[in-house]
Parts: sequence; structure tokens; C-alpha cells
Amino acid sequence: MHFISDYILVFIFFVLPVIFVIQPLFLNKINNLKNKIDLPSLKRKKRLLYRQIKELEMEFDIGNINQKDFKISRKELKIEVSEVITKLNSNKI
Amino acid sequence: MNPVAGGVALNLAFGFSILSIITLLIFIRNGDMRLFLTGQRLSLGISFFVFLSTFILWYQLIISNFDIDYVARYTSLETPFIYKISALWAGQSGSLLFWLFILSIFATITVLQNQSKHHGLMPWVIISLAIIQLFFLVLTNFVTNPFMPTDADFVVKNGNGLNPLLQNITMAIHPPTLYLGYVGFSVPFAFAISALMNRDTSPLWIQSIRRWTLVAWLFLSSGIILGGWWAYQELGWGGYWAWDPVENASFMPWLTATAFLHSIIIQEKKDMLRLWNMALIILTFALCIFGTFLTRSGVMSSVHSFTASSLGPIFLTFVFLILIVSFTLMFLRRSDLRSEKRIESFTSRESGFLFNNLVFVVMCFAVFWGTLFPVISEAVRGTKITVGPPFFNQINVPIGLILLALTGVGPLLAWRNTSKQSLIKNFTVPILSGLVAAVIFMAIGFKGSVVISFSLSVFVLATISTEFMRGIKARTKTFNESIVKALITMISKNRSRYGGYIVHVGIVFMFVGFTGHAFDKEKEFSLKIGQTDHVAGYEFTLLKLSETERSNHYAWISDIRVTDNKGEFVTNLYPEKRIYFHKNPDVNRRQPHSELDIYSTLNQDIYSIFSAIDNDNGIAFLKIMVNPLVRWVWIGGYILVIGTMIALWPRKD
Amino acid sequence: MNSNKKFTIMITGVITVVIFWIGWVSSNPKDEKAMATFVSVEKLLNDKINKRTKLGGLVKDGSIIISKTNYLDCSFVLKEGNTELTVKYDRTRPDLFKDGAEVIVTGQYLDGTFYADELQTKCASRYEGDLRDESNYKLTEIKT
Repeated sequence: MHFISDYILVFIFFVLPVIFVIQPLFLNKINNLKNKIDLPSLKRKKRLLYRQIKELEMEFDIGNINQKDFKISRKELKIEVSEVITKLNSNKI
Repeated sequence: MNPVAGGVALNLAFGFSILSIITLLIFIRNGDMRLFLTGQRLSLGISFFVFLSTFILWYQLIISNFDIDYVARYTSLETPFIYKISALWAGQSGSLLFWLFILSIFATITVLQNQSKHHGLMPWVIISLAIIQLFFLVLTNFVTNPFMPTDADFVVKNGNGLNPLLQNITMAIHPPTLYLGYVGFSVPFAFAISALMNRDTSPLWIQSIRRWTLVAWLFLSSGIILGGWWAYQELGWGGYWAWDPVENASFMPWLTATAFLHSIIIQEKKDMLRLWNMALIILTFALCIFGTFLTRSGVMSSVHSFTASSLGPIFLTFVFLILIVSFTLMFLRRSDLRSEKRIESFTSRESGFLFNNLVFVVMCFAVFWGTLFPVISEAVRGTKITVGPPFFNQINVPIGLILLALTGVGPLLAWRNTSKQSLIKNFTVPILSGLVAAVIFMAIGFKGSVVISFSLSVFVLATISTEFMRGIKARTKTFNESIVKALITMISKNRSRYGGYIVHVGIVFMFVGFTGHAFDKEKEFSLKIGQTDHVAGYEFTLLKLSETERSNHYAWISDIRVTDNKGEFVTNLYPEKRIYFHKNPDVNRRQPHSELDIYSTLNQDIYSIFSAIDNDNGIAFLKIMVNPLVRWVWIGGYILVIGTMIALWPRKD
Repeated sequence: MNSNKKFTIMITGVITVVIFWIGWVSSNPKDEKAMATFVSVEKLLNDKINKRTKLGGLVKDGSIIISKTNYLDCSFVLKEGNTELTVKYDRTRPDLFKDGAEVIVTGQYLDGTFYADELQTKCASRYEGDLRDESNYKLTEIKT
């Protein structure tokens, strides 16, 4: 009885992890993700840029940034956002 | 479960970590995604085996298997359950395993969280984490193995047990909290290395580690505060910070991490200071490992570590390797780390942040210098000179005050450049409040740095309130909201910003508490029953001396009545003198302990210690300390934690 | 002068000031208790050092004498190797202070006696994270 439980333990704690680890090696070759456009991080970038615009507006409302800088920075951010959105859209199609 | 399995699991984790590093390195060369997946899973495997061996050790501690050396040394049959659990981090090899355990939790979270994110960064992140894991696996496998069998030619019936005086709940949670902080910086460090490797120095990677850094910082801060609180409540020397090397070891990474938290704001918003941020996070991580070295090595004589350990050189080598590799890498990537943008004016938010950073790092250096001064002086002059708290206080008080001032100035400066008008507009009220406060404090009779500290505190509080006010005003004007609603939406929409300000309020409270130290009074005296003595305007009368036997100790209890100088009753204090193991026939194994009693108010703490008793004549020897404003430190700590939590609270979007 | 240069000068300035400050405090501490020289008992006795010093050693068995009139007053013999020195101490003693304890005392030497104002015992704490090296325990300790 003791024997069997030992075997089960070895199986669970050693064989299973090893199978789990080497399993991907037997898959068909997957495309290298590096060449693909990384959608989630593009989306994150979009979110981030929107947040930055909001924060910028807030800084301006409080008076921590002058009008000229505010306009320039907002324009830069908006251009960046639109670039990201274009990339996102082209990827969807 | 067989304890041997624990050792085997550690071996397997060691093997997996090497395989994981190799696999991922090959992946980086040839880009075969299958290898990446395997490497990722190997990394999960390392953590799995670490978890397994940790749980096995925990299990052995709980069932009191004294065949394992570690279990026999740190627990006994009588040890309460909770302290059997915490015995995992009571000793050296266990605490290294525990460190590894936390690191593995963090590594697992990082891998799982980023399965579909940061494909460029992840290989190097996993490699860096695996290398750190490998270091600790080498230690736990080959240098100090927690599963070593007991080396005795007799059957160990009962273990050594844990010192009963240390069976204190704060002591059970203080080390893991600190560890969570120390280890937490591994993840931002791994991201930093990966960003360097990938030449990806955009603000995006900064964004992805901001949260991690903040979590690690929160744990480190709470760990430090908890340690101080414990020392104050239990150790009976009346203070919470002694500039002990081990305390400094936790304070130094805290300083650089705090600098880092500030300077990444500039990188996020302005894409400046890339190089500086990289250096800061590397330094923070290296200081975390160095901290472990200080606690372990015995290079310093400290309350915490008296003995030399073989681990010292190994840790030191690792710290040097981290520094050399990271800074070489930074040097090779210096062109990527150059930012095009420059700070344009002194009166800008950017320059405020820059100076705050500078001061943090300089303070870190000062602490570092003081901590290593004995070693340096021994190497240079051949005499070992130890430095005490007065040295650290003298050096750090002015630096701390500058930091406090910057806390107030920073938020009032505008990005890029602050116009003269808005300078005047923003600073008038805070500066006036600070000046008025200074005049009032001087009129009361305070002097020197105390006045500066108190008035700066007022100044900072005033700037933070004007910041809140300006935000609320902007909101009520644009959105037509009520003030309360504006306050709530404002905070919840800008959590990191206002959370940060709340942390600043906490820091100000703590500074007020630190300043109170300047007024500490203490006196040691003896009293017979009915006699009275005075300390700092209070009268202490010994009413009664009683004795009692409790389950694990014998105690003498003194009953002291405290009255103020008008004769009004303040409180009764009951400090105790205890003897633990009082039934032990071997007198040397009996252990005296002074259980102190504190009467704490917002204004001051009255701290009493029953130092000794003369039984024949009925005389109690007492030490009384009156420590003003100590409570502010703890309140500041709570505020700091709340503020950090607000900054950390996840957004819905 | 462009702003970049101004900043460089400013930063170097701040760093220089601080380094001077640290150096100055290191060589002229305000409080005499800020620093103490760690010496061996033998060297202290040979050189008759009367500066503030720190000594380490063991409390000689049976040497602790507590004054009958004032329990805070005590004297004991500090042993380091084979050298012995009488130490006087008149403050609250740490709980772990007893025969055979490993102690560090800080104070001043005068005419054959060491007047200590600080007395530290080896911390019994096996807790605080990572305190003592296991190799430090004797197995007999376990037998009890």
C-alpha cells in the first residue's frame, strides 16, 4: 500500500511537472510572436495615452501648466493616440 | 510527507532554474516560440518545487519532526502553533527558503500576469528572476540546507524551542513584511534589466512596474514601522529607532526606492531621467541583497547579528555581480538611455523632483557611510570606530529637514516652468502659515531645528491643503459638483496623485513625532512603598508591590500612581519584573524580563520600566521616560499605509 | 550659460556640500557619545586609553556584584580571552545580563576600572528575520 502511494506522489510531483514543461516542445512550430504586432500592449498604450491626456487636462485646470505648454503637449499626445488607433484598426482587418 | 522529499524538491528547483535560463537564452537566439513556452513553464516549475519544499518544511515544523535539525533548533513540543509556522523565518536556512518562497510567489504572478503582455520583455524578465532564484537555490541546496538531519547520536525528544519573550505577534509578522518588501523589488529590477537588454527604454516599461514598486515599497515601509513599533513596545529602551546596522539595511533601499517612485513620474510624463531611473532601481535591488548580507554576515556588531557566517562572502559576491553586470549593461546602452528632453528651469516640477531625488540618494549615502564607518576606519586607520545614534542624527537631521521642505515646495511648482505670478500666488499662503507657525513656536520657547521642523510641517500641510483646494475648485467650476463629491471623484480619478499627497501627510506626522525626540526626558530612581519622585513635571508614587505566579513566569508588579504638577491624577502604571522559566533549577537558565507599561496620549508617552527589585527592603528600581509626540509616528504610519493603498487601488478602465 | 550646465553645477554643488558635511560630522561629532573606538581589553590596559571605547567579552562567572544600597549600581569582571577588567555600571541592566553572558560595554577607562554607560547583551532573538547562524548553537542545548 505504502508503495503505491509513493508512486502516485512521484507521479504527481515529478512526472506531471516534467510533462507540463516539455509539452510545448512537441507542438507544431508556432509563429514567432516577435514579428506580430502585440495587440494587448497597443491597447494598453492607448489606455495609457488617454489617461495621460486626462491628467494633463487636470494639471491645466489646477494651473500647474501654462496654456502654451498645455496645447503643445496635448497635441503631441493626440497625434500619438491617433497613430496607435490607426495601428489597432489596421490590425483588426 | 517524507522530509527527504523537501530536499529533493529543492534539487529539482535548482535543476529547473538552470534549464529555464538555458532554454530562454536559446529562444532569444533563434526565436522558436516553443522554447519560450517551455522556458516559461520551467520557470513556473521552479516556483512549484519551491512551494512544495516550503510546505514540506512547514509540515515538519507543525508535526515537530526533530529529526530535522532546523525543526529541533527553532521549535519544541510546547511551541504554540502560530510560532511553529513563523519558525520558518526564525533561523538562517529557513529564512533563506522563505525568501525564495516569496520570490517564487512574485515570479509566478509575474509570469501568469504577462502571458499575453510584454512579449518583448518577458524572456529577459523570466531569466533575471530565475537567476535570482538560482542564487537562493544554490544557498539552500549547498550552503545551508533547511532539511539537514539532526546531527546527534541520541534521539532528540524535544526541540530547543523559541524564546518565549519573542513569541510576540508583531515579531511574527515584522520579518515577513520586510521580506515582502525586499523581495518585491526583484520584479522591477528584472524588468529594468530586460528593458536594457531589449533596448526598450520607453516609458511603457516604467508603467508596467510602477504598481510592483509601490507594493514592494508599501511592504518595506510597513515592515520598518512595525519593527520600530515592536522595539518601542518590547525592548524597553524607550526608542523606536537606534540606527542599528540592520535597521539601516532596511532604510537604505527604502530611501532609493522612494526616490525611484518620484523620479519615474517624470519619466512617465516627460520621458526624462531614463538613465537615472535605471540606476535607482538597480541600486535599490542591490541594497536589498546588501541588507540581507548585513543581517547575516556579522561584519557589523549589531543587536541582530553577532556571529560571523559563511554566507557573508557569498552575498557580497552576489551584490558585486549585480552591480557590475547591471552597470556595465547600462554603460553599453547609454545611447538608448539618453533622453532628448532637458529640464528647462529651476522653478519647475521637474527640477523639484530632481532635487528631491538627489537628497534621497545623498541621505542614503550618509546612512551607508555611517553603517560602514567601523569597517572603513578599521581598513584605513586600523582602529575600529563604532558610531552611535548621535552621529546619524546629527548628519541626517538637516538632510531630513531639506526633504521635508521639498515635500512642500514640489507640488506647488508647475511643469516645465513656473511663472513668477503663479509662484507668488501658490506660495503666499503656505509660506505665511509656515512663518506664523515659526513665530508662535519661538514664542513658546522652542529653538533651532525643532522650530524649523515644526514650521516646515505646517508649511507642508498648508501646501497639501492648497493642492486639494485647487483641485476641488477646478472640479466644482468645470463640473458643477458639490465640494464633497468633487473631493471624492477627484481622489478616485487621480489615485496615484492624491494617494501620494496623503502619504506626504503621513510623513509630516512622522516628522512631528521624530521632532518630539528632542524633548525626551528620562530618570532612573528607586522607590519604597509610599515614596515619590519627579520626572518632567510628573510625580510618581509607588503605591504597592505585589507578586504573582503565572503559567510560564513569575512576576512582581509595581503599582505606580502618576499625578501632574497640579496634583491631578493622570494614570496608574503597572510595569512588571518577570522571571521566565522560574522553576528551572539551573539559575542561569531562568530569564528575567521587564514588562513595561506605557501611558500614551497624543501629547506624550509616559514610559515605565521596572528595572530591578530589592525584595528584602521592598524597594523598586524604576526607569521612567517621558517621550513627547511618539504617537504621531504611529499615526503617520497609518496615514502612509492608507495613502499608498489609495494610490494602489486598481482602476476600472 | 545654458540650463543644462547650470544644473550640472548645481548638482555637483549639492553633492560636494553634503560630502563635506558628512566628512565634517565624521571628524567632529557634536556629541561625544557619537563615536567609540572598539578595542580589545588587552590593548586598553596596555595603552591605558582614556578615550571613549567599546569592549566586548564575557561576564566572568560569579563576578557580578550588585550594590546593597542601590540595586542599579553594579560591578562585574569582563573577560576577553585571558584578560580581565572590572567594569562598573549604574544604569538599568538588560534582562539577559548574567554570568557568562556575552556583552558589549561602552564607556571610559580610569585607574583600573572601566566606567560603562552602555551595556548591550547578545540578543537572544532568534526571531527578527535572520538573526543567528545555526552553527552557533550547541547540540547540548537541544537535549533539554
